[in-house]
Amino acid sequence: MSIEVENLCFAYKAQAEILKNVSFRLAQSSFLSIAGPNGAGKTTLLNLLSGLLKPTAGTIKIDDSMLQSYSIRHLAKKIAVVRQEFVPVFEFSALQVVAMARTPYLGTFAFESKADQQAIADALEMTDTDRFADRPLNHLSGGERQRVFIARALAQQTPILLLDEPTSFLDMKHQVGIYDLLKRMQQEYGKTIVAVTHDINLTIQYADEALLLGTDSDYHIGKTKDVFSQHQIEKIFGVKTFTGKVGQESFFLPLGKFAKSRNGCASEAKQT
Amino acid sequence: MEALTPTRLIIRLILCMALLAVVMFVCSLIGTQKISLGSVLDGPGSVPGANTDYDIFVRVRIPRIILAALVGAALAASGVVLQAILRNPLAEPYILGISSGAALGVITCVLTGASITAGVKLGAFGAGASISVFAFLFAMATCWLVWLVGHLAGGSGITSLLLAGVVVNAFFSAVIMLLTSLIDSQQLRTIIFWLMGNIGEKDFSTLLASAIFIVAGIFGLFTICQKLNVLTFGTQEAQSLGVNTRAVTFAAFAMASFITAVAVGLSGLVGFVGLIVPHSVRLVLGPDHRQLLPASAFVGAAFVVICDTIARVIIAPAQFPVGVITAVIGGPVFLLLLARYSKKIGYQR
Repeated sequence: MSIEVENLCFAYKAQAEILKNVSFRLAQSSFLSIAGPNGAGKTTLLNLLSGLLKPTAGTIKIDDSMLQSYSIRHLAKKIAVVRQEFVPVFEFSALQVVAMARTPYLGTFAFESKADQQAIADALEMTDTDRFADRPLNHLSGGERQRVFIARALAQQTPILLLDEPTSFLDMKHQVGIYDLLKRMQQEYGKTIVAVTHDINLTIQYADEALLLGTDSDYHIGKTKDVFSQHQIEKIFGVKTFTGKVGQESFFLPLGKFAKSRNGCASEAKQT
Repeated sequence: MEALTPTRLIIRLILCMALLAVVMFVCSLIGTQKISLGSVLDGPGSVPGANTDYDIFVRVRIPRIILAALVGAALAASGVVLQAILRNPLAEPYILGISSGAALGVITCVLTGASITAGVKLGAFGAGASISVFAFLFAMATCWLVWLVGHLAGGSGITSLLLAGVVVNAFFSAVIMLLTSLIDSQQLRTIIFWLMGNIGEKDFSTLLASAIFIVAGIFGLFTICQKLNVLTFGTQEAQSLGVNTRAVTFAAFAMASFITAVAVGLSGLVGFVGLIVPHSVRLVLGPDHRQLLPASAFVGAAFVVICDTIARVIIAPAQFPVGVITAVIGGPVFLLLLARYSKKIGYQR
C-alpha cells in the first residue's frame, strides 16, 4: 500500500502556510520517520495523511487513488492512527478499547465475529497487553495505555499505520519494545509505518526513510542517514549537537549554552 | 471481563426485562385503594354490579404504570446517548435544558396551537401531532444550542457544557413562566403539575402512539451503539475508526431529542433519570453502549415506575409529581458525580 504526496500545502484558517509544496512517495512496507521542531507541522501532516484535515492545495494518493475518494469507513480499513495517549471519559477496559478497532468491519448490530475476536486476541498478544486486558484504561500507566492504543491500531488490520509520538511516555525498555514491534510489523506483515517522533536517536535505528520538517516550511526527505546529518539537524532545530556513531548509525546529543560540559569546553578553549 | 456476544447480551436483557416486569407487577398492586389480585383475575362481570378492583387495575393502574415505564425508558436512553455524544458523564436531558426546551415547545404549541388547529380544522389528532412536532423541534434546537454554547465556551472541562445547559435551562424556564402567566388560572394547576413532572392518566391511543415512538427511537439508537462507543474517544479517534462522526452525532441528537420530547409531552419535566440510571447500570455492566443503552432503558423504566408509585402513595390520598422524587434522589447523586469527575477526567474533543 503506497502513499504518494504531491505539492501538499496546508494552512490553518487565515494563518501562514504551515506546510508548503511537500512531495514524497512511500512504497509499500516502508518505515518513515517524521521529525522536526515544535510547530513544524508534523502532527498536521499526520492528520492530512489520515484524512482528518483537507489540504489547501496538492494531493494525497493512497494506493494510487485519491484520499478523498475513500469513504470514512473504507479508509479506516486502510489506515490506522495512534495519537498521543489520553484518558477516556468512561472506564472501558483495555480489551474493549482494542475491540473498537473492528468497528469498520462490523455489521448493523455490531457484534464481533470469530475473525474479529481473533484479530483482537492477536493484537493483544503482540503488544503484550493481554496481561491487563480486563483492567480499565484509566487504571493503567501511561506506557501501558500507549501500548493498548497501538494494539488497537494493529487489530484494525490496516496496511498503513500512522503514529504520533508513540514512545513519548514510555521508559527505555518500552521505547525499544514499541519500535521492535513496529519494525516487525513492517518486515513480517509488510505494513507501511509512518511515525512522528522527537526521538531521533531511537528512530534512526529503525526507520528506513526520514522526513525532516523545518519551521520555515522547508523540508528534507530521503534515506534516514542522509536526512539526519549533523549539518541538517543543527540547521533545522537551531541547536548545536555532539554527533557520534554507534556502528552504522549516528546519534545526536543537543548541547545547550549552559550545559555543564559545554562550560567546561569553553573554559578549556580559553585556557589554551 | 469477557467479550460481549449477542447471546450474553440477550440473556442480560431478558434479566432486565424480568426485573421490569416484576417491578411493574408489584407496583400495580400498590395504591391508595387496596385491590385484591384475586378479584382482578376474576375479570369484569364476575361479581354482581361492577368489579371495581378490576376497573381500577385495568383502567387506572396499568395505563399509569405503562406510562411511567415509557417515560423512564426514554429518559434513561436519552441520558446514555447524550453522555456518549457530549463525552460528558453528567449530561442528561433535564440538566442540559433539553427537557425544558421540549416543554417550551409544548406550551408554545398549546398557546398558539388552539388558533392554528381551529383554523385548519385538524381536530384532536392534529393538535396532538403538532404538539409532538413542536416539542421535538424545540428539543432538537436546544440540544444543538447547548452543544454549540458548550463548544464556543471552549475549555476542556466537563463543566462548560453543564454551565451552558444551566443557562439555557434558566432562560427557557423564564420564558415558560412568562407564558404560563398568560394562561387562565383553571389550567394553571394542570400546567404547573405537568412542569414538575407529573404522571397522570392518559388515554389508550396516546399511550400506544407514545410507546411506538419511544420503542422505535430506542431501537434506532441501538443500531448506532458501537459508533457511540467509539465516539466517546473523541471525533478524531472515531473518524480514524471509520465512523462518520457528523452523521452519527446528528442521528443521535435527533433520536435522543425525539424520545425526550415524547417523554416530556407525556409527563413534563422529570429530571435526573438520565443521570442516575445510566451510571448505576454502568457500574454493574460496564460502559459498552450496546449493552448499556437497552439495559438502561429497562432499568430506567423500572426506576420511574417505582418513583411514581412512591409519589402516588406516600401522601395518600393526595399525590405529588414524580419529578419531585427523582429530583430529591438525583440532586445528591449529581453532586457526588460532579465532585468525582471534575477531579479526574482527561478530556479530548
